[in-house]
Amino acid sequence: MKAYQEKAQALDALMFEKTTEYEIGRRHLANMMGEDPETFTDEDIDTAIEYLFPSGLFEPRARPLMKHPTEVFARKKVAEFDETGRPFHVLFYTGLPNYYQVLHDLSEKVRELDSFSDRMMQYNIHKDPERTLNVGGTEWVKKEQLEDILLEKLKDKQYEFFVRSMNRLLDHPFSYRVEEFIMKFRKHVQISVIHKEIPKLMFTAEGTPYMAAVGRRKTSTASVTVYGRGSGKISINGEDLLYFKYIQDREQVLFPLQFSGLLGKVDVVADVDGGGFSGQSGAIRYAISMAVRSFVDEQMMEKMRLAGLLTRDPRRHERKKPGWKGARAKYTWKKR
Amino acid sequence: MRLPQPVNNTVPGPAMPFSPTTTLNMATLGKKLFILSVRMGRGLWHRGIVSSSNPVQSAVEPLEKLQESSSDAITEQMAKSLKYPDFFKVAELFTVEDLFNARVHLGHREGSLNDHMSQFIFGSRLSHLIFDLDQTATLLREALNFTAHIAFRGGIILFVGRIPQHQVMIENTAKECGEYAHTRYWQGGVLTNSTIQFGSVIRLPDLIIFLHTMNNVIYEHTAIRDAAKMLIPTVGIVDTNCNPNLITYPVPGNDDSAASISLFCNLFKAAILRGKEKRKELLGVH
Repeated sequence: MKAYQEKAQALDALMFEKTTEYEIGRRHLANMMGEDPETFTDEDIDTAIEYLFPSGLFEPRARPLMKHPTEVFARKKVAEFDETGRPFHVLFYTGLPNYYQVLHDLSEKVRELDSFSDRMMQYNIHKDPERTLNVGGTEWVKKEQLEDILLEKLKDKQYEFFVRSMNRLLDHPFSYRVEEFIMKFRKHVQISVIHKEIPKLMFTAEGTPYMAAVGRRKTSTASVTVYGRGSGKISINGEDLLYFKYIQDREQVLFPLQFSGLLGKVDVVADVDGGGFSGQSGAIRYAISMAVRSFVDEQMMEKMRLAGLLTRDPRRHERKKPGWKGARAKYTWKKR
Repeated sequence: MRLPQPVNNTVPGPAMPFSPTTTLNMATLGKKLFILSVRMGRGLWHRGIVSSSNPVQSAVEPLEKLQESSSDAITEQMAKSLKYPDFFKVAELFTVEDLFNARVHLGHREGSLNDHMSQFIFGSRLSHLIFDLDQTATLLREALNFTAHIAFRGGIILFVGRIPQHQVMIENTAKECGEYAHTRYWQGGVLTNSTIQFGSVIRLPDLIIFLHTMNNVIYEHTAIRDAAKMLIPTVGIVDTNCNPNLITYPVPGNDDSAASISLFCNLFKAAILRGKEKRKELLGVH
């Protein structure tokens, strides 16, 4: 017991010592850089270290750094019981007091919300769609992050149970009343899709809007111009849509216009070279899709992306291998 | 609601229902629910005391406030408290009627009866077992008295129960009386391997109170055996399907109704708070 107390005190003393050292170091750095020591922030410290100790090392964590002791030393739990040996936390003997405390609070909140919804039912007030808790763009903290918050190691099953229970709380119609509690365990997600700059519409001398784009498929290249305020004329290498003998290729050309609803509203002029009919039609399709982006709103663009119209098909011809019949096909295998 | 006459009527006690030393037994309870006034001082005349075998002492010497906190004087006072059969007057915390209203007398069906529990059964009705609340009350008073004494001496009390419906209630009870609760999955080494389990030498509980002696499934809670191994006294609410053997102070009663568990929680909390109050008086601190 005494050893435990001594350990906790030693840790506190260490942290205090390191923090004072850090502050003194901050002032020294500020003087070295010629800045005001009073207003020298942590970011300034980072830039100063980078300047004073330039490192050619690739790994950022291997470069010299000067951070606050709380970031460098892993956070540990404070002393868990007093000098008589009585623990501070009610659930100490469970082994995971913080984790089970969260679950306890969760149960209490579910009960609170249930009794609130019972009262509301008496006045015939049901779920208010406007006040529904919005957790868009957020997700539950991962297991490692939860362990950092609680300072306790968890098993996978315990984490899964936590997520299931929190989802139950979240699904309650009146969950907006406990928003603060829920948001403690939700973190914002970076949107993975990088929105490229969509080029603005250009205008001809007469004032018709148009957009030009280049598309490739297999070994074909197509450069396409889509003119707005049109009547649905399509010209490929000077010819009609009948340039393509097969219906599939014609459909490929028309698909982006039909999907975005611009079928009879725009004119398309396409120059295509290289490859065969399939590659050429695919190239024109991709080029039209990229050009149509400028004519269409964001929602439709998102739909086009989900339909696969805005993805450059990367497939190329795969070579035949010696000893194989084709690129993947093998000759008949004989057991004996 | 009238209790119907039990089939196996093993009614003890005198035949005269109105003499001052009458035991308020199950039969009279069955016939009519009325409260006897028993010879008591201090405003206890509304309560009916079940068993007259342990008369409650009304006059308790107040604890002397200490001028200087000498440990000898404290231990002397604590030893003195053991001379009284009911130092904390836990008998006034409940009546048999309270137990009845909280449905403590309802057991399971005859088929699941543990043989060791048959001594506590009053009878059965349509194959549903009924506890003898006389015995329950006696044993409950002993358990509450013991709990209060442990709290008086600054002992660590751990509430254990494994039924999810009552988890929150038990944890709240522990919080409100400043003690500890463990209503979660019981890791094997909590009592028997505590140094490695908790990472350091810790103080084990001095009393474990079981609101449910069984796990979620048909097995007994591991802590019963472990507490017996570690010589930790236990108090436990034992239902008809439970085994009271290893429990120091078994209290036969219903452990499935929220009402009965709520009553037991409140009783234990009250007993602990009384013990702590007396302790505060004695030490004169806080």
